[in-house]
Amino acid sequence: MIDIQLIGLLNATLQAATLLFIAALGELITEKSGILNLGVEGMISIGAVAGFMTAINTENIFLAILVGVLSSSIFASIHALVTVILKQDQTVSGLILTILGLALSSLLGKNYVGRKLVTKLESITSISEPTNIVEVLISQNIIFYIAVLLMISTSLILKKTMFGRRLQAVGEDSKSSDSMGLKVAKTQFIATCVGGAFAGLSGVYLTLSYVPYWTDNMTSGRGWIALALVIFGGWKPYRTALGAVLFGFLEALVPRLQTYGFELSPYIVKITPYVITILVLVILTIYKGGKTGAPKNIGVPFFRENR
Amino acid sequence: MNNLKLFKRQTVNELSTFYSFLIGFLIAIFIGSIILLIQDKSPIDTFSLMLRLSVGSINSLSASLNKAIPLILAGLGISIINSVKLWNIGAEGQIFLGAIAVNFIYINTQINSPSIHIFVLLVAGFVGGSLCILIPAITKVVFGVNEIITTLLTNYIVFGVTIFLINGPWKDPKSLNFPAAAYVGEEVFLPTIIGKLSFGFLICILFTILAHYLKNKSVFGFEMRIAGGSAMTAVYAGINAKQKAFIAMLIGGGFAGLAGAIELLSQTHRVSTGISQGFGYTAIIVAAITGMRPLGIFLVGSLFGALSIGGSVIQTIGVSAYIADIIQASTLFGALIIQFFFTYQIKKVEND
Amino acid sequence: MKQYILEAKNISKTFGNVKALEDVNFYLRKGKIHGLLGENGAGKSSLMNILSGIYQPEKGSIFINDVKQKNLDPESASELGIGMVHQEFRLIESFSIEDNLTLSKSNIYQNNFKEAYEKYSEIFSLSVKPEKTISQLSVGEKQKIEIMKLIFNDSKIMLLDEPTAVLTPQETDQLRISLGTLSEEDEKTIVLISHKLKEIREFTEKVFVMKNGKMVAEELSTKDVTDDNLIELMMGNIQKSIIDKSNTPGDTKLSVKSLEYVDKVNNFKILDNINLEIKAGEIIGIAGVSGNGQVELANIISGIEVDYSGKILINNKDVSRRGVRSRKKLNLSYIPENRLGVGLAPGVSVLDNSIVRDYFKTRLGPHLSRSKTENYLESLINKFSIKAPNSKAEISTLSGGNMQKLLMGRELISNPEVIIASQPTRGLDVNAVEAIHNLLVEQRDKGSAILMISEDLDELFKLSNRIHVMFEGKIVKSLNIDDADINNVGLAMAGIIE
Repeated sequence: MIDIQLIGLLNATLQAATLLFIAALGELITEKSGILNLGVEGMISIGAVAGFMTAINTENIFLAILVGVLSSSIFASIHALVTVILKQDQTVSGLILTILGLALSSLLGKNYVGRKLVTKLESITSISEPTNIVEVLISQNIIFYIAVLLMISTSLILKKTMFGRRLQAVGEDSKSSDSMGLKVAKTQFIATCVGGAFAGLSGVYLTLSYVPYWTDNMTSGRGWIALALVIFGGWKPYRTALGAVLFGFLEALVPRLQTYGFELSPYIVKITPYVITILVLVILTIYKGGKTGAPKNIGVPFFRENR
Repeated sequence: MNNLKLFKRQTVNELSTFYSFLIGFLIAIFIGSIILLIQDKSPIDTFSLMLRLSVGSINSLSASLNKAIPLILAGLGISIINSVKLWNIGAEGQIFLGAIAVNFIYINTQINSPSIHIFVLLVAGFVGGSLCILIPAITKVVFGVNEIITTLLTNYIVFGVTIFLINGPWKDPKSLNFPAAAYVGEEVFLPTIIGKLSFGFLICILFTILAHYLKNKSVFGFEMRIAGGSAMTAVYAGINAKQKAFIAMLIGGGFAGLAGAIELLSQTHRVSTGISQGFGYTAIIVAAITGMRPLGIFLVGSLFGALSIGGSVIQTIGVSAYIADIIQASTLFGALIIQFFFTYQIKKVEND
Repeated sequence: MKQYILEAKNISKTFGNVKALEDVNFYLRKGKIHGLLGENGAGKSSLMNILSGIYQPEKGSIFINDVKQKNLDPESASELGIGMVHQEFRLIESFSIEDNLTLSKSNIYQNNFKEAYEKYSEIFSLSVKPEKTISQLSVGEKQKIEIMKLIFNDSKIMLLDEPTAVLTPQETDQLRISLGTLSEEDEKTIVLISHKLKEIREFTEKVFVMKNGKMVAEELSTKDVTDDNLIELMMGNIQKSIIDKSNTPGDTKLSVKSLEYVDKVNNFKILDNINLEIKAGEIIGIAGVSGNGQVELANIISGIEVDYSGKILINNKDVSRRGVRSRKKLNLSYIPENRLGVGLAPGVSVLDNSIVRDYFKTRLGPHLSRSKTENYLESLINKFSIKAPNSKAEISTLSGGNMQKLLMGRELISNPEVIIASQPTRGLDVNAVEAIHNLLVEQRDKGSAILMISEDLDELFKLSNRIHVMFEGKIVKSLNIDDADINNVGLAMAGIIE
């Protein structure tokens, strides 16, 4: 019995972690280029609703993923336009992206609330009820494996390739990078859109698999946790993944606590991930003595002729 | 051969924020119209209906201004905190905790004079808002934890606590399906001044002036500006930047908490999830769009209050209330785009 | 026939109301070292920034190998073989040397980095491993990496903006030899910007002179032109005033006793047994290459840095454990080296910045009345002839000279007894420098005790009564002005004491 519960917990952990991780990884890439995008919550929401609508209307799951990813990426390009090209405040723009994304997705999804998906993202193997860890690992849906792939490739690209080094150079010191002939605006624009695409994938995962339906504000703060995860992970893909698993575990554990015999109000239990996020951020900041690993130029608009 | 190149303007028009807002608003109305057209609704009919139902009569106008109160107060709080270049994304939570604090004091005290009672409850709301931002303020000032994330996360925590309270300890048995706390007694309702316009609006005017004085006229405001401009200059000038940041955050949180108290005492009369409908988030737009100027916040807050009322009434003709949100957010995006043209100029370069 | 590898014609550029460049012509011959001489603010850096694609000129055209360049940006400039070493380093601090040398797309030693690095390390006598992070390097080492970066990016035209400013005289000598090798063996075309005649003479074959945004002399042959000639071109008729130092100093106003300041993280002494005494009516100069503890010394005396041992006395009053404000009340003024960022707060108005020193005093408060503060600013503007667009304008819209005058004015208007002036004229044009020097001397004559920290030896010799040389946190040499000369001060700056 315990085993099955444990397996269920593990499975739920991985799913919750996947959702958080993809969005966090996208934000990591954006931030590495020196652009802070606080619009993750809104971008996930756009990806989620666009993917869900496509899935309902076409019943084509891959088209749904594609549309979700693309629309979120295009949505992120608003932030890129405003902050990279027009050099406006990144905090303001990102926040508004969240507000706009939530409103826009609610507007778009109005007629889709409560609709049932005919096709949802299924496990890539035929195991529907995993009974051991291996089965849990091989019974996830395609996006889980994409996430793993993205994690490995992002880390490799950042560490090993010139492309990755240049991306980071721009985020560290855009002025120096520019004088070395690197394309600051182009790099930042693309990194922002890539971040949007990742958030879109996360959103698609939310509505096509994690909770296969659509309702207003269903992202419920996951975009913000993703932002915290980037800090938690010290802007490193593997550590961010570790953080995602930790938070995924908490999210998965909470509804199961009562079955383990804890008598706690479900409402109070629900807020624990947020409390723990704050705690972790504090501990991490103290532990690292302020050296969080953040790209130096983050949030600073770049204009070549600024003296 | 002529080339277009980007140059930074040396001086920026003093009214640029105002013009940016105005043009941004027009852009937003345009975007709103397109969305309405896609939904087969007439923009002119819809907007004129919104206008009529939000400012067309004393009653609708007072409803709009009532709606503006929390936007203005929370926006002022955000602008005070921004004086030290910090962000408060937690106004939504502060509004809720302000209301919770009011109810807590209401339940646990006995005061005979209604006016003193109301006063005490308003103070409780302010303190509640300050308490809500206390943890982010401490973690920011002492450890340097990013306040954007922590203030935002407190929203979810406070909302969770609200749900817990109104489903558990404070649940009103008379309210069957809708979880909410019991109503407060009529003796502590805020009076109205004209039509339905709450006394809270006067408080709002008072606090706008207060915020204006604090930010622009007081020594504290000056110290906040220097601390926000450069931490090193603050140290150089003998200004304790951390202390200023801490106090600014508590005051700013208090402003939002007061908004929650006024909502409870004049609108909902009890703690429920309806205390705030995203006021804390809209307040960020209001504050940002005015360049954090208290008097501007008062005006734009009033406009956005009307817009929200307009947005909620047009639901009756089948238009989503989210149109109002979208117009508000697009206004700021539009304003940001226009602001670019005030700070930069595109010039032709003679390249003979 | 290709006469010039690079030709710039009729270049004009303005920043706001300031004409940085006006119809400037400039041309370079392949394989030669060219000097670009001019006072601070003459427009030398602006011109170089235009040639390397960073600034866009409003007018003019640029030819490289006789081909007209229409859209020069840093990337295309780099592809065309133009590289620039900026006054502030353009290195990614957190990256390794190797990363910094290979980031650019024009880099030609991607595959044989090791050999190339070894070769050029030798030319530049650099002995650090390429895996080392930039932030761990000394200023001199960073300078070498900057120049190597140009070589690695296959720059055929190397624009060096005041490369010697951060070097000791000895390091400067060595740079001269390295650059000579590069121009002769690798046929590099080099531009050396400087405002020091001696360097231009020693380094270059051809010299251009700029003054107030205009090119006042083109392609003079260095060996044929006289110093007097160059000085006149560079500065016009401005007579550098000679400061009378015959006044007798009064009582001791500032004493610093056995000051020690330790970097606790790396556990080494930033300041080691510093003793100073300054009397009323006296200017004491601190010479030294930056980074030898001067900033820390100034911060400790002004009360910003508190974690030190030793004693600070102002007017014989021990203030060692007092904060910034109580030292200000004893009438100490501090003009920090970092003008914008420490002395003045960026993003804040001219008005706010003008009251930073005295805002808590009753003449401005208690409510910071608009009229009182405006009047105060007005008096600063009049007394110190500051040009500012309006009181609400953001501080960085002022020119460097006006910023410094505002900062100095704010610190000097209440007749301070002790003044610490750190790099008071760095980056300012010749008129502003004169104005600031006069202010300091005037203040000296009013009886202030002045500690002046500077890297500019001319300035130190001109103003000081006595010069202390700092090296690695110690005062390694103290000289009366009559005993000091470029040689003994220069050697002491490099840590060589006979």
